[in-house]
Amino acid sequence: MRNHLLVFPATAVLLLLSFAGATYAHHANASFDMTNSATVKGTVTGFDWTNPHAYIYLDVKGKDAVEKWSVEMGSIGMLARAGWRRDTVKPGDEITVIGNRAKDGKTFLRLSKLVFSNGQELTTTVQ
Amino acid sequence: MRKYLIFSAVAAAMLALSSATFGQDTTRPGAVPDISGVWLVENFQPRLFPNGGAPFTPWAEMKFKATDPQTNDPNLACLPMGVPRFMIAAPYPMEILQMPTRVIIIHEGPQMMRQIYMNRQHPKDLDPTYSGDAIGKWEGDTLVVDTIGFNDKTWLDGGGLPHSEKMHVVERIRRTDHDTLVDTFTIDDPMAYTKPITAQQVYKLKPGWEIQEYVCEENNKYTYQGK
Repeated sequence: MRNHLLVFPATAVLLLLSFAGATYAHHANASFDMTNSATVKGTVTGFDWTNPHAYIYLDVKGKDAVEKWSVEMGSIGMLARAGWRRDTVKPGDEITVIGNRAKDGKTFLRLSKLVFSNGQELTTTVQ
Repeated sequence: MRKYLIFSAVAAAMLALSSATFGQDTTRPGAVPDISGVWLVENFQPRLFPNGGAPFTPWAEMKFKATDPQTNDPNLACLPMGVPRFMIAAPYPMEILQMPTRVIIIHEGPQMMRQIYMNRQHPKDLDPTYSGDAIGKWEGDTLVVDTIGFNDKTWLDGGGLPHSEKMHVVERIRRTDHDTLVDTFTIDDPMAYTKPITAQQVYKLKPGWEIQEYVCEENNKYTYQGK
């Protein structure tokens, strides 16, 4: 697992998130570690294209076992304006997600950027 | 003659441009400024007092100490943000529709419709509601909106600022340029605050945007621990 989870100071990411955070207004951000950015690579097992949040579910291979991760995004209206669609990710896709992990250590991430296996990127930021 | 024609053409073009720019026809008797369109807050700030210092009464301070955005934000239960929170501290777009008798604001998330009645007074003996009763009038280029009749189930912002049913909100809404709408709020609630709170929100026009469906109850994984 440690190979897949990188944590580093993320001033630049926070700046990038200054409005993206807005898409998470359904709840406060206090339960996420907003000072550090986490990167997780895994295989998509599901995608909830729903309100008030969309979710990606990931299987992340660790040394000994597979971890189940949930990745939270904003509302689908705002995501659509940021270029997302209901089939942006599909089960089986290998993706990398970058965002803020839950402070309680759960395998739960608040997404800021998605990187597809071909290197293409998609953020949650509405331009 | 030719000069006159050119001048007329330029003047007409300028007039047309200014009408088109601000979407209004001020040459028509009774015309009012056009503030219709889809708007989004320019800078999202969930808290009215990010550094503290709200002028609480003891009653409101006690209520505020019991609030926790992690557990008892009404938003966690998909309850309406209400007025003024959705106008001040929500990062979702709103569409303003204008009719002679009403200005209607449709807010995307959580979905809510606010009606501002343009030609009547507040009814007596109002039932308290999330949006209150809003009446509006034009003062020059400014829409002045007076809202009372609130319930006390909403917060003023995402930080948990409480209010009572006595809250009175006056807004001055003005389109300062084609792409910019400014709403200046005065929130007066003597039961909760020792002096009126003033706030300003700036919205930017979002051409081509349409208000999307937002059914908060669809997949809400958060738990509301309010009563």
